Amino acid sequence: MRSKFLYKYLKLHKRYSSQIAKKWQSVVGLEVHAQLNTESKLFSGAQNTFGGLVNNCVSLFDAAIPGTLPVLNRKCVELGVLAALAFSCRVNEVSTFDRKHYFYADLPAGYQITQQRAPLANDGVINFQVYTPGVHKKPYNKSSMIKQIQLEQDSGKSLHDIELKQSLVDLNRAGAPLIEIVFEPDLEDGEEAAALVKELVLIVQRLGVCSGRMEEGALRVDANVSIRREGDPLSTRTEIKNIGSVRGVASAVRYEIDRQQSVLENGGNIINETRMWDAAAKVTVPMRDKEVVQDYRYMPEPNLPPLRVNLTTREDTQDIISVPLISDRIPELPAVSRAKLIENHDLRPEIAIQLVNEPALFDFFNNLMNKKRNPTKVANLLLNDLLTVLNRRKIDVNNCTISVEQLDELTDMVLQKKINLDICRSVLEEIIGNRKSPFAIVDEKGWSLVTDSKEITEQCKRVFDDNPKLVKQYRDGKVKVLRALLGILSKTSDNKLDMSVASKIMEELLRK
Amino acid sequence: MNKLSSYSIRDIHKAYRDKTLNPRCLIDQCLDRANKTKELNAFITLTPQVAHEQSLRCQERLQSSKKLNLLEGISVCLKDNFCTENIRTTCASNMLKNFTPTYNATIYSKLMMAGACLVGKTNLDEFAMGSGTVDSIYGPSRNPWCYNDNWRIAGGSSGGSAVAVSSGSSVVAIGSDTGGSTRNPAALCGIVGLKPTYGLVSRYGLIPLVNSMDVPGVFAKNVDDAAITLNCIAGPDDLDSTTIKSAFKPISIKEDFDISNLNIGIPKEYHCKDMSIEVIECWQFVTDLLEKLCKVSCVSLPHTSVSIAVYSILNQCEVASNMSRYDGLEYGLRAKTNYSTEELYATTRSQGFNNVVRSRIFGGNYFLLRQNYEKYFLKAQKLRRLISDDFENVFNGDNKVDLLLTPTTLSDAPLYSDFTAKNNRDQCALQDYCTQPANMAGIPAISIPVKLSKNKLPLSLQLMGPALSEELLLNVAKKIEALVNFPVLEFNQYLNKN
Amino acid sequence: MSFRSSALVRRRIYLHRIFYNCFRYYCKVPITPVATLESDNIPKPNIDINTVALLERLSLVRFDTEQGVKVLEDSIEFANKILHINTDNVQPLYTVLENQSLSLHIDAVTQGNCQKDILKNAVITEDDYFVAPPGNIPLHEIEEKESDIQRNENRN
Repeated sequence: MRSKFLYKYLKLHKRYSSQIAKKWQSVVGLEVHAQLNTESKLFSGAQNTFGGLVNNCVSLFDAAIPGTLPVLNRKCVELGVLAALAFSCRVNEVSTFDRKHYFYADLPAGYQITQQRAPLANDGVINFQVYTPGVHKKPYNKSSMIKQIQLEQDSGKSLHDIELKQSLVDLNRAGAPLIEIVFEPDLEDGEEAAALVKELVLIVQRLGVCSGRMEEGALRVDANVSIRREGDPLSTRTEIKNIGSVRGVASAVRYEIDRQQSVLENGGNIINETRMWDAAAKVTVPMRDKEVVQDYRYMPEPNLPPLRVNLTTREDTQDIISVPLISDRIPELPAVSRAKLIENHDLRPEIAIQLVNEPALFDFFNNLMNKKRNPTKVANLLLNDLLTVLNRRKIDVNNCTISVEQLDELTDMVLQKKINLDICRSVLEEIIGNRKSPFAIVDEKGWSLVTDSKEITEQCKRVFDDNPKLVKQYRDGKVKVLRALLGILSKTSDNKLDMSVASKIMEELLRK
Repeated sequence: MNKLSSYSIRDIHKAYRDKTLNPRCLIDQCLDRANKTKELNAFITLTPQVAHEQSLRCQERLQSSKKLNLLEGISVCLKDNFCTENIRTTCASNMLKNFTPTYNATIYSKLMMAGACLVGKTNLDEFAMGSGTVDSIYGPSRNPWCYNDNWRIAGGSSGGSAVAVSSGSSVVAIGSDTGGSTRNPAALCGIVGLKPTYGLVSRYGLIPLVNSMDVPGVFAKNVDDAAITLNCIAGPDDLDSTTIKSAFKPISIKEDFDISNLNIGIPKEYHCKDMSIEVIECWQFVTDLLEKLCKVSCVSLPHTSVSIAVYSILNQCEVASNMSRYDGLEYGLRAKTNYSTEELYATTRSQGFNNVVRSRIFGGNYFLLRQNYEKYFLKAQKLRRLISDDFENVFNGDNKVDLLLTPTTLSDAPLYSDFTAKNNRDQCALQDYCTQPANMAGIPAISIPVKLSKNKLPLSLQLMGPALSEELLLNVAKKIEALVNFPVLEFNQYLNKN
Repeated sequence: MSFRSSALVRRRIYLHRIFYNCFRYYCKVPITPVATLESDNIPKPNIDINTVALLERLSLVRFDTEQGVKVLEDSIEFANKILHINTDNVQPLYTVLENQSLSLHIDAVTQGNCQKDILKNAVITEDDYFVAPPGNIPLHEIEEKESDIQRNENRN
C-alpha cells in the first residue's frame, strides 16, 4: 500500500520537476556496525560465531540471568583500537561504558551496553575514491570525518512468525562484539555512501577486525538522510536501518533522497523516523507504525570501571593495552596499495581501484608481479579473464581455489604467447577446484600455440594455395585482405598459432 | 544445648576436636531451631538436604585432616538474593518465585569450598528494597527480641539473615548491604553486621539492587566470627569486574591489639533531629569508654544530611535499569497474555513487582529522562563525589582520624505496626540515615551491639574506616565488644513468649 | 573544718565532672542535632498526564493510578531538596573504583554451550527458542483497544 502511494509521489515529482526553482541538495551520514573477529563475546566467554545450535552459544550473562556480570574481552579492545588507528582517530586513554535502555524481545537485559559519553576513540577520517563503472567516468576522491568509534553489544535475533503471531528468539548473537563507527554527515548521495562502505569493508578486512561479510550481517549500515534546497536549512532527517549490502546502500540512500524530495515538493513534511530498506521491493518503509518518542535513558554501566589504555609506551599488561604496540600491527591500507599500484606498476587508477576492491585478486597480482611481467596485462588477465570465468561459475573470487602456482604458470604461457586468451579461459575452467598444472593441461590437450616459424610458414603457404584470389588481391595493392587471410589461418590452425608471429611471417611471404 | 547459640566458631571447633559435638549434630540443632522459630519467618527456603550432605562431608574431613578451615562444619545461610544452583532464589518477589539458578554466586562457592553448611535462604524485602524486611511476598520477618504479639521489625533488607543468626538457626549468615541492609538488621537484632569495602567481596551471583553500592555483608554473633567469614569470602573474582584486584590479605584479630595511638572521629552531622535520646546516650557511652583508651575527636562530614536524598535518586535510577531485564521471556514470572511484547512485559512486570519496586522503576526512569538527566542524575552523582570527598578529608586530610564512630540506627527496633504506618520512602530515609553514606563512599563499616534500651531491645553503634581498613575496623570493633559486654539473647526468651 | 573542706572538695570534683562531661559531650557527641543542608522550601511537583504516560511506556509497568502518581511526586519532591547545593566544577562519581583499570579477559571460549541451562527457567519455549508475542506495538495502543472494547460494551 505504502509503496504504491510513494510511486504516485514519484510520478508527481517527475511531472512538477520542471518547476523547481532551486536545486536540491542531499546530506548523508552513516553509522556502521561491524562485528569483531573474536573467539568469544564482548563481555562473556561464550562463542562468537555465525549460526550454530539455537541458544547454545549463550552464556548466563548473555541471557541476562540475574546476578551475572560483564567482563570485557581484551581482543575486542585491541581490534577496536586497531580500527581506530587505521582511521587516524584519537584513541582515548580512558573510556567508559553506558547502558542504553529499550525493550525488545531479543535484548534480554532491557538495555544494551555501549559507549556513549566517553567512547574508545574520536575524530578520525576515512578517505576513499568514488567510482562506479557505468555511473562515473573517472574516480574522484572523497572523505568523511569519523565522530567516534565505540564498542558495543549486538542483540539476539528474532524470527517473526506472522501466522502464529509470535517471534522466536535466539540469543546466539546476543552480546557479540561490535564496533560502531559514527560518521559525520559529509556525503552527498548513495554512490558516495556505497563507496565509503566498500572502502570500510576493505579496511576492516585488511586489519582482520571484521570479516566484512555484509550478507551475514557482519557489517551493517544505518544511513541518516536529509535534504534541503540550496541555501535552505536541512529538513528533518530519517534513518534507514540495517542495510545489508554495498549496492543496497547506494539504492536505499538514492530511494530515500527521492522520496523525501517528492514528499517536500508535494507540500508534505518529513517526519523523524526510522525506516527499513526492503531490498527485494527496493523501497524504504517505516519500522514503527506510530511516531514514538524514544528516550534511551543512558546511564553509566556501574559494573564496568573505566577502560584504560597506554597511549605512550610499549608497556603492555593484561589489563592495560599498549596502543603503540597495536599501531605496529597496522598493515598496508587499501589507499596505499592503490597508490603503489599506480606508481610502481603504472596502472590506470580505475584498474588499481578494481584490483584493490577484490583482496584475492590483489594478492594474486602481487604474487604474479614477483616476476618481471607486464603489469597491465597481468591486471587484465585477473580482472577480465579470471573474473569472467568465476562469474560464469558463480564463484566468489575470495573463495576461489585456484593457486598462485597455477596462475603463475598460466600467466607465463599467456605472456610468452604460448596460448592465447581464449585458451587461457579454457585452462581456467579446467583448473578450478583442482591442483592440475596449466602446463600439463595445455600439453595434454595440445592447446599450445605454434611459434615455430617453419611450421607457420608452411601453414601460411597452405592458406595461400587454398585462396589464390585473396593473395592476388593483396599483391595488387589491396593490403586490407591480409586480415582475411590471417582469419583463415587462425581458423584452419584451430587457434593454435601465435598470431603476432604469424602475421609477420604472412606479410613477409606476401611481399616476396 | 541451648548454650550452642552463644558458641563462637572457635568454641564449636574446639567441641569438634574434643568430640563433644560433630557437624551433623550442629546442623540438626540449627535446623531444629529454625523449625521451632518458624514464627519469626527468617527463612524463605530451608535446605536440610544440602546442609546434611555438606555436614557429612565435613565429618569425613574432620576425621582425616588435622588442619581444618575455620568455617568447616559451620552453619551458614544466605539472603535469598544470592544465586544458588538448583536451589530457588526468589528475591522475595513474585517475579522470581519460580526461578532456580543454574549457577552459584561466587560467595556461596567460596563458603562451600571452605566447608560451611547451608541451612537455608533467608527472607528480605522484595529485591532488597526496604529497611524492615516487611515487604516480602513471604511476609515480614520478626525481631526475636522481646517477641510477643506486639512484635518488632527485624530491620532490613537482610532481616531474615539477622534473625537466623540472632535466634541461633545459623552460626553466621550472608546478607547484602546497599544502604545499610546488613548493618541495620544486625543493629536491631543485636548481632554484628559487617559491610566490607566496595569491591572486596565478589558480587557475582548477587542479584543487584544498586550495582555501584551493593556489597555482600556478614552477620555473626561476634567480631571474631565475622572476621573468619570475611577471610573466606573476600578477594578478587575474575567474574566481577568491580572486585579490587590486589590479593586479599587475611585479617587477624589480635587479643592485645593496641588502640592507644588511634584517633577516633565523632562526626557531628550524624546527630540528626530524629535520633532517639537513648541512641545518643549509647553513642556518648561508648565515646566515653574509648576516650579512656585513645584519642577521640569531633569531626565534620558536611554533606551527610543530603546523602539520603542523593542515595534515593541514585538508587531509583539503578533500580529502573536493573529491573528492565525482568520481562518473563527467559526466566521468572510470565503473564498469560500474548497480544504484543509490550503488553506481555507490562502485565508481567505489574504482576511480578510490588508497589515499592514499581514506584522506584517509575521514579528512576523519570530522573533518567533526557530532560532530567542533568538536573537529577548528574547532580546526584556530583553530590555523591562531595559525600565521598567528605570521608576522604576526615581520613586523609588535616587532623585526620583513623575510624569514625556513629550510631547505626536512629532508634531501637520499631514496632511493626508503627513502622508500616509510614511509606517505604520515609522508612528508608529514617532507617538508612547513618548507614548509606558508607555505601556512597564504598568504605567499610561494622555495626556492633552495645547495650539494651529501656524496652530491652538492642542498641548498636557503627564504626566506619577508610577503604580496605577492615583489619583495623574489626580489631577496634572487637575492643568495643569486649568493653560493652552485650548480652546474649536467650532462646526461651522468644520460644516461650506466653 | 576538715569535714566542710572535704565536702567542698567533693562538691568541686562533682561540679567539675559535670562541667567536664558537658563540655566533652558538646565537643564529641553533639547534644543537639546539626542543621540539615536539605532545603525545605520546595514547591510540590506536579506531574502531568503525558509524562505519566511516557514513563509508563518506558518502564512497561502499570503505575498510572492516583496513588502511583502521588508516590512519584513525593519522590521528586524529596529529590528536589538537594538541587540547590552547589556542585560547580565537581565531577560526577559513577563508581568508587574509578581509579582502577577495567579487568580484561582473554579471548577464549570458556562459557556457553549450555543450552539446557539457558532455557531451563523459561516458561515457554519452542524448538529451543524463546517465544515472544509480536513486537513494536506501543503500549497505549492496547489501552485504546481496551477502551474501545469497553465503549462497545457500554453501547451494548
